Amino acid sequence: MNAGHEPRWRVVGASVRGASHVRTGLPNQDAIRWLPESGTGRPLILAVSDGHGSAKCFRSDVGARLAVETATGVIQEFLDSLPDPLNLSAIKRWAAENLPREIARRWRDRVADHVSASPLTSAELDRLEAQKDIRKRRQVGLEPILAYGATLLAVVVAESFILYLQLGDGDILVVSEAGEVSKAPLPTDERLFANETTSLCLRDAWREFRSHFQVISASSPALILVSTDGYGNSFRDDVGFLQVGADILAMIRADGLDAVSASLETWLTQASQEGSGDDVTLGILCRMDALERELPAGRVPAGQLYRTRITGQ
Amino acid sequence: MKRPGGELATRPLHFVWIADSSGSMETDGKIQALNYAIRNAIPDMRKVADENPNAQVLVRAIKFSNGAQWHVSQPTDVADFEWTDLKAGGVTDMGKALSMVADQLKIPPMTDRALPPVLVLISDGQPTDNFESGLEALMDQAWGKKAVRIAIAIGEDADHDVLQKFIGHAEIKPLQANNSESLTKYIKWVSTAVLKSASSPASQTADAASPVTNVPVPTIPDAGPSSADDVW
Repeated sequence: MNAGHEPRWRVVGASVRGASHVRTGLPNQDAIRWLPESGTGRPLILAVSDGHGSAKCFRSDVGARLAVETATGVIQEFLDSLPDPLNLSAIKRWAAENLPREIARRWRDRVADHVSASPLTSAELDRLEAQKDIRKRRQVGLEPILAYGATLLAVVVAESFILYLQLGDGDILVVSEAGEVSKAPLPTDERLFANETTSLCLRDAWREFRSHFQVISASSPALILVSTDGYGNSFRDDVGFLQVGADILAMIRADGLDAVSASLETWLTQASQEGSGDDVTLGILCRMDALERELPAGRVPAGQLYRTRITGQ
Repeated sequence: MKRPGGELATRPLHFVWIADSSGSMETDGKIQALNYAIRNAIPDMRKVADENPNAQVLVRAIKFSNGAQWHVSQPTDVADFEWTDLKAGGVTDMGKALSMVADQLKIPPMTDRALPPVLVLISDGQPTDNFESGLEALMDQAWGKKAVRIAIAIGEDADHDVLQKFIGHAEIKPLQANNSESLTKYIKWVSTAVLKSASSPASQTADAASPVTNVPVPTIPDAGPSSADDVW
């Protein structure tokens, strides 16, 4: 929780079933989870997942739920095991290599447990065959994990660092106190294009994680927004999407985080209906002391878009 | 409270007819059958688009004979799309048409948030220009590679090898239309079943070890029986 003079962070979020899923009777295949469940304090862990909607991934709603549960749990264990004093270089290396490996391994184990408890049914496989896709039926029959395919985005705000992790598509936006918005500085993955994504269900999925480690400094973000691709795809262009970050910061300052939290489902539902039609999930990590500060003289208020780079460390 | 962010928009889905209008298409009423089939499919395309309001279906058409020309050059909302009859004459410069389509699939004018485009190549013959360089130009574009590429062979003289190279996926074969009924059936299938499949925002895994089409191609209809007096 709030440790003395240290800034307090909070997290809020929402996930809505996509307009096209409502039309076709599919469930919401996104998931979101944070720890601690109170949504307040540091360290704070937020995870978001998007289950692939393709026919082959017919259990991806479960896959997404397992992804956020696994990621938040593994990261919590990781944070609990950190030595004192911290060696940030060692944590950075561990977070980039061991953490993805452990998350992917545990997710596979949990999927295997789920398959054992609820084996794939003939009805599920028959639906693939009904599409005359024998190859897919055979593939999923041999590797049931493929039915659970999902992405994973996670952000950890600890006392001395912020860690960004991403496997597959989706967006992490970083908003400065001045309302400057940028995408989190993760390496680009050219494969995340045309509805294609990397996935937890791939062999060696841990290799596909992209990560960024940022030491907390005076210029730490005011907000970090984590969303599934259904949200970004709902805007006409990137500029309109990035504007979300600045607008939400201005709204939190004007009306409070709880008011924004209460409006999220309505906003996300509207975005899906008038935009991508996909499931939409958004989590917001908020540094509460950034809301209280006056903008420096001459700075343009939040609500007006900037593009900057976060310098990281 | 006002919604955050800029303008919302459905995702564009570009659909391009790439039609052979060479002289041989005049034989046995092939060009008339093609004109009829595409015009006839428009109401079905509109219906599919109406049922998938989160995809903005934008249609255009390019023809190739002596060189290639855009027949409908602007991406046109399917609700406003109308078909003007193609006239046949000239050779089969298919490669030129593919390179012109490739130009339009660059980002920009395309956006990376689009749904995968649908490209439908229809031909009754063999290319008379450099098909390979046209295909290469197309496949050099990210959206060219990721497009749903369907080919319809009209009559027995169509070059299946070329059409298969255009499709670029061993499990999807060119559709063989031997009469006006089967052509109409295939054009309707691509205008409805394929369009519907491409309208979905569903994600696919990008697995180099197990490549998939990023839009599932639905079951292909049977061409149906053909009577001996009605075969191209």
